[in-house]
Amino acid sequence: MPQIVLGQLLNGAIVGTLYGILALGVTLTFSITGIVNFALGAFMMTGAYGTWYLTSVHGVPYGLAVPLATLGTAVIGLVADRALFRFTRNDLINGLLVSIGLIGVFDNVTLMIWTSTPHTIDVPVGGSVAVFGVYLPRMKLIVCAVLAAVVGATYFALRHTWAGRAAHSYAQAPEAAELMGVRTEFLQSSVFVYSTALAGLGGALYASLYSIDPTIGGPFVLKAIEGAILAGIGSVLGALIGGIILGVTESVGALFLPLSFGNAYGLVFLVLILLFRPNGLFAGRR
Amino acid sequence: MAVSDVTFAVEAGEIVGIFGPNGSGKTTLLSLISGALKPTSGSIVFKTRTSLVGLPPHRIAALGIAKTFQNPQLFEELTTFEHLSVAGHLMVKRELGWRRIHTLLSSRLSRADRMPRRAEQVLELCRLRGVRDALAADLSYGQEKMLGVAMALMCEPDVLLLDEPASGLGNVEVVELERVLRDLRGEGTTLCIIDHQVKFLAKLADRAISLYHGTKIADGPPGEVLSDPRVVKAYLGEGHAAGPAA
Amino acid sequence: MSRNVLAQCALALAAVALPVFVKNDVVLTILVFSFLASILAVSFNLIFGITGQLSMFHAAAFGIGAYATYIAMHDLAVSFWTASALAAAFVVMVSLVIGAICFRFRLKAFYFAVVTLAFAEMARLVVVNWYSVTNGTLGINLSQRPVLAVLGRSITFESTLSWYYLALLALFATILVCGRCVDSWMGRCFAAIRLNDELGDALGINIFRYKLLAFGIGNMLAAFAGALYAYFLGSIQPAYLSVGQSLAIIAMVLLGGQRRVAAPVVGAIFLTLLPHIIDLSAEMRAVVHGAILIFAILLLPKGIVGTVETWVRRRAA
Repeated sequence: MPQIVLGQLLNGAIVGTLYGILALGVTLTFSITGIVNFALGAFMMTGAYGTWYLTSVHGVPYGLAVPLATLGTAVIGLVADRALFRFTRNDLINGLLVSIGLIGVFDNVTLMIWTSTPHTIDVPVGGSVAVFGVYLPRMKLIVCAVLAAVVGATYFALRHTWAGRAAHSYAQAPEAAELMGVRTEFLQSSVFVYSTALAGLGGALYASLYSIDPTIGGPFVLKAIEGAILAGIGSVLGALIGGIILGVTESVGALFLPLSFGNAYGLVFLVLILLFRPNGLFAGRR
Repeated sequence: MAVSDVTFAVEAGEIVGIFGPNGSGKTTLLSLISGALKPTSGSIVFKTRTSLVGLPPHRIAALGIAKTFQNPQLFEELTTFEHLSVAGHLMVKRELGWRRIHTLLSSRLSRADRMPRRAEQVLELCRLRGVRDALAADLSYGQEKMLGVAMALMCEPDVLLLDEPASGLGNVEVVELERVLRDLRGEGTTLCIIDHQVKFLAKLADRAISLYHGTKIADGPPGEVLSDPRVVKAYLGEGHAAGPAA
Repeated sequence: MSRNVLAQCALALAAVALPVFVKNDVVLTILVFSFLASILAVSFNLIFGITGQLSMFHAAAFGIGAYATYIAMHDLAVSFWTASALAAAFVVMVSLVIGAICFRFRLKAFYFAVVTLAFAEMARLVVVNWYSVTNGTLGINLSQRPVLAVLGRSITFESTLSWYYLALLALFATILVCGRCVDSWMGRCFAAIRLNDELGDALGINIFRYKLLAFGIGNMLAAFAGALYAYFLGSIQPAYLSVGQSLAIIAMVLLGGQRRVAAPVVGAIFLTLLPHIIDLSAEMRAVVHGAILIFAILLLPKGIVGTVETWVRRRAA
């Protein structure tokens, strides 16, 4: 029995890193642009489809497809920012509505081009490895490691590079940062695009583990938001941890309740958190 | 702690002026009375019987205590008269009670209620008749402040709490404000006024209370309080002159 | 103001008289759908445009209304009218619970949207998973038709023409109900909540109570729309409760206009007609909804009706 639990725990943690990378995107976007970008799920889906398209239709090696798909997603993110989200800075409601509208567009365009048939890509790295006596696919460990590394790198960059410190200071005190010469609009755009790139990367890696279809973004972004809120918006490492906590809760919980209720955990979590910690949340900002 | 040791009583029909340097807790005090903030300890009692602690603002307003805001709070999109109609909610509630649901079915009842007429009266009293149908966004600062007072009046309050009603007003407007406030006191309304402009308060108030760092340091007739050495020290010590402050 | 009323009366008369001139069944069917969509849009606007609360629960109220009506008719063997009334009452109860939770905790507007989204999703999950009652993702096919017994005769709502008048009547009733609310003391409270709820609170308005009222009334009307829609279409799917459905409703309101009770009708008719004027697949329709949502927020913030009104006012000045 404990072996199964351990297995669920580890699998949950790995899924949790996927939630975590998206949660990082959510937290960064909120801290710097003042909106919650629900469309990050759609960007993740874009990264996943981009990767699948490159590897399965054009035979691009996976290792190359991932950065290309991530880049492609970032470009789309840039367009979305300049065309749309530029006008909803710090406007939570309008930002929410625009991002929901964008989800509708992304999801259905994808649906039209590739239908709802799920697609899979061949696992680039096969075999499994025993971790604490549980056999885990190598690919999952690679995904987990890559995502954790990216989060770590982001954290490092925020602390130790000029750009990162500028972003950090802006999140703490927007007017002061502006006065000190931080180029606000550029900063906000960059962070927005970076978070879409993170989502795209998440999607690209997701594609190596699971089958993809146009609906994968929705539940993921909701969980990402939950993970980000759980840890405290504004916390980079916290986003990853929040995502992992959520992933583990779901996986272990699945042992006790039917799988179809997996989505419900996060929802209940979310409602409870928003009800009981409405002010303490979003601590990095307001 | 914004307000830590303040004890005073207000008699019906009085005009009490509360003053003190920035940060002395004046606005916090009014917010505590009006229910916008909850006190962590202490008691606030209205008309000897009713405790106000823990009541939501709308309940306190319904009991007869109305407040104006230091920075005029308005309903963008609405006209002056519409503001007063919204503020007339308590009047409608008091007059019709549950029967106001009837007004949804037939307009006949709503045509009979006093509220619109009272709104016109208040417009006149507050010298806002000229901008009756102007949008709130188009009002001057002085008019916005008067609108705040007008809305509070629509609640038919026994006690009116005014947070810096004269700040930002020109001399003519201050005189008008004074006239309105005296008229109100004549009608029996109790006034509790915060302001920086000590001369304005001193002329108007029956009693003055001085706050400093959240504590009451003086309480008595304005002349006495203003010449109280502790009060003078509080002002001069903070670098504020005992006169119209910024 | 009276010019406005005249225009509305003229439109209403035109709508009533239309079937005399237009006999095409397809056109009438589309109009029935647009009237029902209008009910959804107008009722949503009571919560969103008038009271300023962005609720993502509206489609769920719509769907629950549909399913609950079916269940009541099926299990309790009551008439359509009783069933839909029961369904609406049920939705009101659910709304009161959700609303009480959200508003008691003083959720700011954005969090309210997210929490109602979460509740709507949970409702959808229940519908999808409670196979024994709702038939899960397969949905329910309806064979019964509403029957009205009046003056000794019974009318079965089967033909498109009968549904046209039923839907139109329901729309008039919805606009009337919402209009009476908005033009009264209640509407003033709603406006206060939308514009400055702290001020409203200080003026004696029980913010919690009126938010709950708007939410309850809006969802109740959505439930009725759900009942009508289900029995007109002949089937109920979990998609009734989807985010996509909420998205469509929001698009209608943003497009039509948020400040006038009947303004969303414009958006609803436009969006319902659109896929029939331009041949659009279901996916394309959803893309259009998303695009219109974005377009309306960024370029047409007052909606069609609001923009026209401002333009007319400026011309007169």
